[in-house]
Amino acid sequence: MTTARAPQPGGRTDEAVAVASVVGLKIHFESKAGRVHAVDGVDLDIRDGETLGLVGETGCGKSVTARSFLRLIPMPPGIHAGGAVLFRPHQRCPDCSGIGCSVCDDTGRLPVPCPHCRGSGCSVCGDTGFETIDLSALPEQELRKIRGDRIAMIFQDPAKALNPAMTVRDQLAEAFYQHRTGEVLELAGLADSSNPLLRRHAGQRSRLIERALLSSPGLRSQRNQIETVVDSMVASALAETQIPNPVKVMERYPHELSGGMKQRVMIAQALACNPDLLIADEPTTALDVTVQAKIIELIKELQGRRKSAVLYISHDLSLVRRVCDRVAVMYAGRIVEVGRTEEIFASPLHPYTRGLLAAIPSRSQARGELVAIRGTVPELIDPPPSCRFVDRCSYAVAICRELDPILQAAESGHDVACFIHNPPAMAVELPTFTKRTS
Amino acid sequence: MATEAAPRQPTPAPVVGALRTRATRFGELSRDVLRNPTTLVGLLLIVALISIAIFAPLLVEPNTPDPYQMPRDWGALNEPPGTPGHVLGTTPHGGDVLYGVIWGARTSLRLSLIVVSVTVVIGLIVGSLAGFLGGKIDEFLMRLVDVFLSIPELIFALAIAAVLGPSFANIVLALAAVFWVKYARIIRGQVITIKQNEYVDAARVIGDSRFRIFMKDVLPNSITPVVVQGTLDMGNVVLIGATLSFIGLAEAGLAEWGVLVSQGQAGISAGRWWASTFPGLMVFLWALAFNLVGDGFRDILDPKTESKR
Repeated sequence: MTTARAPQPGGRTDEAVAVASVVGLKIHFESKAGRVHAVDGVDLDIRDGETLGLVGETGCGKSVTARSFLRLIPMPPGIHAGGAVLFRPHQRCPDCSGIGCSVCDDTGRLPVPCPHCRGSGCSVCGDTGFETIDLSALPEQELRKIRGDRIAMIFQDPAKALNPAMTVRDQLAEAFYQHRTGEVLELAGLADSSNPLLRRHAGQRSRLIERALLSSPGLRSQRNQIETVVDSMVASALAETQIPNPVKVMERYPHELSGGMKQRVMIAQALACNPDLLIADEPTTALDVTVQAKIIELIKELQGRRKSAVLYISHDLSLVRRVCDRVAVMYAGRIVEVGRTEEIFASPLHPYTRGLLAAIPSRSQARGELVAIRGTVPELIDPPPSCRFVDRCSYAVAICRELDPILQAAESGHDVACFIHNPPAMAVELPTFTKRTS
Repeated sequence: MATEAAPRQPTPAPVVGALRTRATRFGELSRDVLRNPTTLVGLLLIVALISIAIFAPLLVEPNTPDPYQMPRDWGALNEPPGTPGHVLGTTPHGGDVLYGVIWGARTSLRLSLIVVSVTVVIGLIVGSLAGFLGGKIDEFLMRLVDVFLSIPELIFALAIAAVLGPSFANIVLALAAVFWVKYARIIRGQVITIKQNEYVDAARVIGDSRFRIFMKDVLPNSITPVVVQGTLDMGNVVLIGATLSFIGLAEAGLAEWGVLVSQGQAGISAGRWWASTFPGLMVFLWALAFNLVGDGFRDILDPKTESKR
């Protein structure tokens, strides 16, 4: 373990280094009708400690993008058609062993210097000086160490995301056994024990016969110590999610818990190892409205304490507005607009974002009147090289059908993929577009 | 060694020695069984039949040297029930029908336990490999299963047993060869359904290995239909086993219900009903009991039928 400090420890500001960057990611699906370009050249930065909202309508590729961080997309039928998912993992703060101290700014985590350039910046780490891993090319074994430890995920429906045949304790214990083997042994007072059986047990790799051996009188007390340590880790992880009576909840099976409780269990599981990046895939869609608010508050609060980055996927714009620091709008497999939340909501630049925001019912509208974007999402099978939104766009001109706009900065910190704001080099007729004055 | 293992840091320990049981689940299951009268009847029958099988040596004096062979009393052929020393009468070969009925239960228990456990294990392995790995392995294994399934099970078992020659061991072999395919199919279907559940993705997200995911997420949630089918097959195996031995594929003197029925059948027209009826009744009760319980399990364990109860 390196104790060397990260090159710029003061980097945890607004313009913090991206903890994860999606670079030109293309994920296609082979189908009978042709190649579905579900994700077709997505560029996205998630900065350390921020909450990034990823919005878009159903089928625009936001879940596929999110799942590509953990390589959860089955291949085949999925095809990794290009691009990379770069990730800059942190290590547990060596000064406080993850509890939180002044060195790590109470996060318990510290960035790892790039092993290639020792922090001076090179092509591997994208001149950031921090260790950078391409998750899309990582061997499965290495990826497993990152899953659940450095990157965690909360699923849409907690009722489906918990194993119905396991108690809450056993499900939560899984993460600790997988990623905190050393800590478990240490807390159990067995750090120096050379007994391979105990070591394997703490890493959850003990087989049936070994477990039987561990039940023998000589080893049972040590085995119990390991399990007691894990139990208390599980209890404190649950307590952090403000579940009433965590010790009792541990004994329960998922079907004995309410939806909100189940989602709290999921959150406890996801945050168990203090991840650098939390992917929340519509974490409240399956919950009723009163519980929604509480879960959102909980995620915000826990994130505030640990300063993890959160990728928040949702199609609920009012929620995104409340929760996120920045918003990325996705349409038909592309990011069409990224910017700070206030800017996106105050002055959306892309016609699609405009349409989305106009579709939110507001108090000034008459009852029963709802606005929709005309047309439907285009087929993603072998899309033509034009703007994906052209058929639904009321500003579209000839150039929009001939060229594909790329995501470029229109204002500082506000990128958009539209010719209105980033006119092409040659002289063409451009649509006029007035900024919303509100 | 145990003393130096004292924890360095005091652990917040509100959870010491908490119970790791599935008591609630088991409690619910047994309550459901008791509430369902047909299942309860089946269960009581099973308990009675298995008790007969287990306590056979105490109920009647075991034959020597091989207790699974019928004792012969050449002085008492075709005696009717109620004859002193032969409560249920004797067969045309002088075999005691009561002995056959009681030791036949033991033979049947042995047969069904061996066949069901062997086929469940084989089916579990084949079905899991096919369902969890998918692709070409799945394709190959399932075509193999299709080949086995295309032949009617009784005919197939008959063919195997006939080729291998008449003996009890060959009946076991023939039945095992026929019955494993069902489990392979059931498990494969279950595994394919279960592995698409979001909790499997959630387990991958934690960083679990594929093997661990299979053992803790996929298999435990796939096993229920196997329990049901296994229970039903405990009856079916005995039924088909008795059929095979009825047509003469077991050793002639075996204390087995099918053998007794076949020995007694010639005498039925002459009014000597007992040698066939009592063992036949046992086969019927055995198959009935396991079918009642199997159906009961299916209703209880399958949440989709819950409203029917």
